[in-house]
Amino acid sequence: MNRYLTRENAIRWAPLMVLIGLVILFTAINPAFFSQRNFARITVAAAPALMVAIGVTFIIVMGSIDLSMEGTVGLTAVLFCFLFLATGGTLAVGGWVAMPLILLLGAAIGFVNGLVHVKLRIPSFMASLAIGFVGTGAAVLVTGGDIVKIDDDTFRALLTWRIAGFPLMVYVVGGFVLLAWFIQSHTTLGRNFYAVGGGEELAHASGLNVRRVRIMGFVLAGMFYAVAGILQVAKLGQAESVSGANFMFISITSVVVGGVALWGGIGGVWNTVVGVLIVNVINNGMVVIGLPDFLQDGVLGLLVIVAVVLSTDRRSISFVK
Amino acid sequence: MDLQRLKPHLPWITLIVLVAFVGMTDSNFLKPANLLELAGDIVPLFIMALGLTFAIYIGGIDLSAQSMANMITVVASVYLASLGLWVAVVCVGLGFALGLLSGYVTTKLFVPSFISTLAVGGVCFSVAQWLSGNRALNMDAEQRNALFGWMIGRTGIIPNELFIAAGLLALCLFIERRTVLGRALKAVGAGELAAAASGLNVTRYKMLAFAISGALAAVAGLLFSVKLSGGAPTIANGFLLPAIVAVLVGGTPLTGGVGGVLNTAIGTLIVAVIRASMLYFGVQATQQQMVFGLVLIAAIALTIDRSKLRTVK
Repeated sequence: MNRYLTRENAIRWAPLMVLIGLVILFTAINPAFFSQRNFARITVAAAPALMVAIGVTFIIVMGSIDLSMEGTVGLTAVLFCFLFLATGGTLAVGGWVAMPLILLLGAAIGFVNGLVHVKLRIPSFMASLAIGFVGTGAAVLVTGGDIVKIDDDTFRALLTWRIAGFPLMVYVVGGFVLLAWFIQSHTTLGRNFYAVGGGEELAHASGLNVRRVRIMGFVLAGMFYAVAGILQVAKLGQAESVSGANFMFISITSVVVGGVALWGGIGGVWNTVVGVLIVNVINNGMVVIGLPDFLQDGVLGLLVIVAVVLSTDRRSISFVK
Repeated sequence: MDLQRLKPHLPWITLIVLVAFVGMTDSNFLKPANLLELAGDIVPLFIMALGLTFAIYIGGIDLSAQSMANMITVVASVYLASLGLWVAVVCVGLGFALGLLSGYVTTKLFVPSFISTLAVGGVCFSVAQWLSGNRALNMDAEQRNALFGWMIGRTGIIPNELFIAAGLLALCLFIERRTVLGRALKAVGAGELAAAASGLNVTRYKMLAFAISGALAAVAGLLFSVKLSGGAPTIANGFLLPAIVAVLVGGTPLTGGVGGVLNTAIGTLIVAVIRASMLYFGVQATQQQMVFGLVLIAAIALTIDRSKLRTVK
């Protein structure tokens, strides 16, 4: 077989090809799709989701899964609003203090998540699902079901201040993507994620403290969810307990569609960026070409199945649960 | 008596302790009318948990149950007028077929069940939004009473839902204990590789388990829509967490193989008592989700069979 047409190469480049194909398809149906304004719209819609998806990428690379994002994003978004208002209500006075504090809170939630998963030896999908429910419950508790609003012009500049047509938050997200890529490729922790995902027993046998790596992964993911929470507030100008709704489905879909294998060890940050763009281009494109938006969840559901099927080497596994 | 031998008896002991505890705090709680009402109210949740039991019993999970019930409330509300009683058959058939789809994707395409059911749940949600036009729908009250009124009335002081629940429990118990399917599911849950090695058609039985789960989620949705006399794409949200909790506190672990539908009946009653006691102790409804999340972690930690998990992912 041709050296360049291997299964590995096909899997590696397929998501990017799909993304380009989709852009061409939607542009052909409606040229308005291919405009700088529409791309700005897509990137803003994708910004918080991308942060969530990057967070969960680290977990999936380890072969685990994290389903706590809806609760974590909801709780961090709500508490960010409260802290922001309590510390002055504007970025210029003292509101900026809320940002590092909320990142720490996200890390703390991730830490609890990791502890429950590792110390109690509960499969990560269930441990994180439960923590997510607790997070949403806590968000309902602190808001009492109300909406918290922030209208501070300096903070909302994340959305309103545009550089070359794209809002500031797009560049912030770009910075965090680079940070995530750096962690993944140039730190010991990042390489350890791949060691655990590629073969946990081998990693353990070579002296790696697998449990610590797992917990650190959840801490890192929690911090990225907190970034998503803050961006979600910046985008909407408000937070409520359901601010994180639907992030679970969207982010897992994106990561998998981007080519990160659920089995762990394969794929990374750039796959996730492509995956998030695919999902958001589909969402946006369906609206632009006039399809009803309720089709989105169904289409994404089918898409995720196709992506998992294509990325699975079926000779190497005997059964799944 | 050591903990391992005590373990199978923990669910009903927990239930009795909880009932006694709440009963001592509030004497009204133990009145038969109150207990029956409590049991009647939890029936849709129980039916969903009953279905989930099959998925969890084989070591899988069905995260689509809630979306399925949501979709069925819409389907039932939309087609009650044109199909009459046949709408029940359509609903259950739809649930069975979509469950079968989850099972197919899981077993034949090697997609882990929590992803495949999440995806099928997304499809259900789309269908529900499409059929309902994203609005809350109402059933024609007269027609509902004529066709499905028997589901929600009372016989003497006993809510009719309890008869439905008892009937379905008996049916599931029969499947579990007295049919080839039931024994096969037990074998798959206890050790899938061994079951496959001894010639069992594991794929078929696993697909059936997911199909049963889907069908029972559909029944739960149908009953729920009859109770509320309507449907909406998000009306049953909040069912999934307590349903999973019910299965797990009942004593069917995430790893599968032990427990069963009778355990789920006890587990559902525990959930009902915890819910009621939270009201008595003045815990707000908004905090229930937090409490159940914590109960869920505790229940998994207590029940899970760690010898089956070489590495916990």
